[in-house]
Amino acid sequence: MFVELFPKLVNLLASLALGTAFLLIARRDLRGQVRLFAAQSFFVSILAAVIAVFASSAELFAVALGLALLKVFIIPAILHRAVSRIGLQRAVAPYLGAPAALFVCGVLVAIAFYVMAPITSSNPLPTADAVPVAFAGVLIGAFITVIRRRALTQILGFLMLENGIFLLALLATYGVPFIVEIGVFLDVLVAVLIMEVFIYRIKENFDSIEVGEMGRLKG
Amino acid sequence: MILVALLLIPAVAAGSIALLRNRSLIEVIHALAALATLGIGLTAAIKVWRGNTEMIALDHLLRADALSALMVALVTLLGAIAAIYSLGYIRAEFDAEHTKQARTFFTLSQVFIFTMLLAVTTDNLGVMWVAIEATTLATVFLVNLHNTRNSLEAAYKYLILSSVGIALAFIGTVLMYYAGSAGSGEIAVNWTSLHAAASRLNPQVVRLAFVFILVGYGTKAGLAPMHTWLPDAHSEAPAPISALMSGVLLNVGLYALVRFKAIVDITLGSGYSSRLLLGFGLLSLAVASAFLLTQRNYKRMLAYSSVEHMGIICLGLGFGGYWGVFGALLHVVNHALSKSLLFMLSGTILLKYRTTDIRRVRGLLRSSPLTGGAFLAGTLALVGLPPFGPFISEFIIFRAGIESNTWVAVIAIALLVVVFAGMLASVNQMLYGEPPDKLARGEVLKWSIAPLAVNFALLVVLGLTLPSALADALKQAIAVLGG
Repeated sequence: MFVELFPKLVNLLASLALGTAFLLIARRDLRGQVRLFAAQSFFVSILAAVIAVFASSAELFAVALGLALLKVFIIPAILHRAVSRIGLQRAVAPYLGAPAALFVCGVLVAIAFYVMAPITSSNPLPTADAVPVAFAGVLIGAFITVIRRRALTQILGFLMLENGIFLLALLATYGVPFIVEIGVFLDVLVAVLIMEVFIYRIKENFDSIEVGEMGRLKG
Repeated sequence: MILVALLLIPAVAAGSIALLRNRSLIEVIHALAALATLGIGLTAAIKVWRGNTEMIALDHLLRADALSALMVALVTLLGAIAAIYSLGYIRAEFDAEHTKQARTFFTLSQVFIFTMLLAVTTDNLGVMWVAIEATTLATVFLVNLHNTRNSLEAAYKYLILSSVGIALAFIGTVLMYYAGSAGSGEIAVNWTSLHAAASRLNPQVVRLAFVFILVGYGTKAGLAPMHTWLPDAHSEAPAPISALMSGVLLNVGLYALVRFKAIVDITLGSGYSSRLLLGFGLLSLAVASAFLLTQRNYKRMLAYSSVEHMGIICLGLGFGGYWGVFGALLHVVNHALSKSLLFMLSGTILLKYRTTDIRRVRGLLRSSPLTGGAFLAGTLALVGLPPFGPFISEFIIFRAGIESNTWVAVIAIALLVVVFAGMLASVNQMLYGEPPDKLARGEVLKWSIAPLAVNFALLVVLGLTLPSALADALKQAIAVLGG
């Protein structure tokens, strides 16, 4: 029963995770964006837990718990604190409007399926079919980092990209070894704390968190 | 044991500096730690080269072969020189009221050294990735140490672009790990195990993985078109950090790249990675030469020159063959020595003239003859004139290139002529003419620029002869890479 359902459950959770990235594109308010990231992390950690049960790996289950703690609670809390401290920001139009951006995301998903074809075709694991979905999440995360003007949304794009990579490793190989995972978690946490400091410093120096205001360094 | 000590010293030094309040004590610890790291690093490197062996510690987490030894020697040597230099530089830059910035500087410098040493001495490719990402995190506040608008912009750009770039390298690592575990069952993410399994890996997956690795670690190595963060970050960072970022951190990115190249070449043959490296190398050279021709900021000039030299090293690796790789590794050493020398001198010029604008620096040779003379000599070395080391290594690289890829080599040499003209014209403007009236004569920094004599002496030695010990060390490193 569980064995039959397992690939479907994996596909469902991976698609839900990708769906939150699409929603982030359409969403303007910062708090909503942070909540979408937390939702994505939630789906990813449930997926990790499901795979941990399926593969009966205690290590992976611990990673899933760690992920949930870090990316569903700690990092969103840090980002909500940042939103409160910089105050409500007026809505800023991104470089690309939502309809055009969603179209690009659709194209990115197609690219992801094309690029990851060698993995899906050669991988014996039941989770392999969802690998392109994870890679699409990586591409969309990178895309959000590029097209958004606000520092905080860029950071969310980066974090979604991280989620996509975690998912990719999870689906293709049932996760990388424990020590690497711990190191990556640590790096992500430190990166977010540093980025938070930068949000404050940018706000202080430029009186907004629009990255578009910065553009003095050229040539 | 030696490897553990090598990592422990900068880690402990960083911790104690962060806790201390007394500035002179901080400086003493910083300098002593850097010298001790140098001593242990050189001991380790010589031991590996002498015995033609490798060192392993902490249950295969740490492993140093001849290639790691080369990187350890470079990181610890330039780390020590920059540490002595920064004692004087930071005193001149941050007075007693800014002890907080000074402490941040010294703490993060040690963390920076620690992360680079970990990256080049671990056998675990995942840990290597974590360490290289950590180099970005350690240096981002150093780039923004002055907290001006420009340095903030540079640091933020550096943080986001490097993090996104290196995330791609992680995908490449995961794909290689996947190829390894699919090819031979349970496998560690170790370089040695992947290297041993290389001939059984799925070639399609490896091809895909290497593209991610190249773009990801290529971002850290400053290859065009992923180089856009580099001129900003390297020019806004304090001089000793610029020296280490350009001199060794870029090489750590390249080191990660060639580690994977060694595996990929066994699976796919060397043609695939060579073509990609030649493409990125030539593009880096072209982009850098365009920006060097009309550069108005001397620190940005040095930064673009780093893009240029990383391109040259990639060309050497791409030309391949024993001499192509030999030239590339020798050029890593030569570029590290000359670029760190120039960046530290640029800090001295900045302290004196208080501007990074080439047009506002006049009469450097008259106002401070020692700095000016050394800056001239360093520039001549960097553009590849004899009797300095880079001349020899570029000669070796392009000789190998003319034989294997004639057209690529010819285009690259033409671009080097453009760089030559651009850089000498810029430096010429700085050296001669009348210094501004109100500028005091004499050197700003005295004893702290003394260690730069080491860079200078080594550059001359490498320009006149090739010490047999070094040739032997490089030969062993090439053997690690499969040459």
